[in-house]
Amino acid sequence: MNTEETILALNQHFPALEAVSNHPLRIFTVFTTPAAFEEALHFANLTLGYHKGKHIIGTDEGADIGISYILSNDEDVLLVLRERVPKSAPNVRSMGELYPSLVLHERELVDLFGVQVSGLPEGPRYPLPDCWPEGEYPLRKEWNPAYFNKQTVTYEPPKEEDAK
Amino acid sequence: MSDREKNERNHKVVVPIGPQHPSLKEPGSFKITLDGEKVERAVVEIGYNHRGIEKACESRNYIQALYIIERVCGICSHAHTSCFCQTFEDLAGLEVPRRAHYIRGIVGELERLHSHLLWLGVASHEIGFDTLFMYTWRDRELVLDLLARIGGNRVNYGVNTYGGVRRDLEPELMEDVLHVCDLLEEKLKYYADLAMTESTLIARLKGIGVLLPEDVKKYSAVGPVARAAGIMDDIRVTEPYGVFREIAVNPVTDDHCDVYGRTLVRVKEMLEAIRLIRIMVKEIPDGPISVRPPRKLPVGEALSRVEAPRGEDIHYIRSTGADAPDRVRVRAPSEANWHGMSHMLEGFQLADVPIIIAAIDPCYSCTDRAIHLIGDGVNQLTDWAQIRALSIEQYKARGIDPGSIKIREF
Repeated sequence: MNTEETILALNQHFPALEAVSNHPLRIFTVFTTPAAFEEALHFANLTLGYHKGKHIIGTDEGADIGISYILSNDEDVLLVLRERVPKSAPNVRSMGELYPSLVLHERELVDLFGVQVSGLPEGPRYPLPDCWPEGEYPLRKEWNPAYFNKQTVTYEPPKEEDAK
Repeated sequence: MSDREKNERNHKVVVPIGPQHPSLKEPGSFKITLDGEKVERAVVEIGYNHRGIEKACESRNYIQALYIIERVCGICSHAHTSCFCQTFEDLAGLEVPRRAHYIRGIVGELERLHSHLLWLGVASHEIGFDTLFMYTWRDRELVLDLLARIGGNRVNYGVNTYGGVRRDLEPELMEDVLHVCDLLEEKLKYYADLAMTESTLIARLKGIGVLLPEDVKKYSAVGPVARAAGIMDDIRVTEPYGVFREIAVNPVTDDHCDVYGRTLVRVKEMLEAIRLIRIMVKEIPDGPISVRPPRKLPVGEALSRVEAPRGEDIHYIRSTGADAPDRVRVRAPSEANWHGMSHMLEGFQLADVPIIIAAIDPCYSCTDRAIHLIGDGVNQLTDWAQIRALSIEQYKARGIDPGSIKIREF
């Protein structure tokens, strides 16, 4: 299925995704809820033939975490499907059963953005070391590498009174 | 019952390998569960080399970020900067001069040559074929010397910049590129013949680390790993970029689906790289090598990809209109090929583990061997003759005189 056919099918079944293309082999969609995203992802895999899980990109969207899943098909079109979850409760489900190649990227979301991915298969964490402090997610915008003590492996932001 | 108790009851042994790699100079940990000599389960643990490159790019401007991106990998540094520049140029709407595309293409194919030669040497070493290891690494020096002349460095050449390239290729240098291609072609044809006829090599590599076409799709394997399973997965063909919009690539595929197939694909790809370099050198147009890029990018995002020596390399940039990226994401080809590693290891012998892992050509950072200091007259570059003289001295000190051995000049 080529780019135009995919956009047509997606916009017909999921108009809220607002699928568009700015390149012959790229399709971008807007952020949506985890439930709508999962439905669209299953549709892309089972109906549209996007069976290759290429990549996951996490982004800091202020109060939310944005998660972009990049899928591909036999025509090598890159389809970007997105979901958004609040930082206060960043819970998503693993898509590892549909896309085993995305498990490693989901582990990255856990370590670097603090997203709780339920249903991840057992396995070592990735990519941070076992001694990494709990609750510190380095790709969130508020996390400042200047406050990270490499010797003690602790995150030490200035206390409020020090900042004053 | 714990895993350990279950294993003891079933007479299974878990062999932890790493975090130092069993063969390559890189950190990676593998927990191999054995039933006798057979690998029953393999758990791959990576991430020891995580350097926070994406976060580092977010707090620097685009020019600084390019220097960081060049250091993602010591082997395919040019592929990473090509992809990153392409993503930037896509967002900025820059039209890169044709000559710059050709120079990027020539350096990219030289990089593919040195990367595959390095891999062939490593793979030969893994199977105890050290003669081939020494031959290929000797040949690789020819390419590295050329790259050092083009960019001033053996691994991070710094050729790419936004809107084009930083180094032009003089006619004399292009003559030398062609000369090295002639020398290498002769050698590579011999290695290709060797790979297809040498019974020991074939027996050692055939039928191990199997990844069938359906598994390639399932685990999204890329590059030579996918092409060795008969899947034509080459971004230069499926989404031609730069010079490959003008010069067609003949993709190399194989249907062995194993380590042997990956070897054949890489050896044949080197011959294809030489063909491409010759065409590019012959047809390179005159003209400027770069256009002035903007300091800031418009608000937006772009996703770009190139065919690195190890496969599809994907870069992503999101801009908020500032002079620094809001988000940078790099999906190196090795990252894609790790997913199928457990599947490739399971069912094979413990002795095959190092070569199966090495067969995906996992990426590791290599460092400069020597530095050429410009300006103060001190030359720290150790050439081939000096290395040979040093080794002879070292052997003499141990009471061995290799001076009488005649070595054919290369």
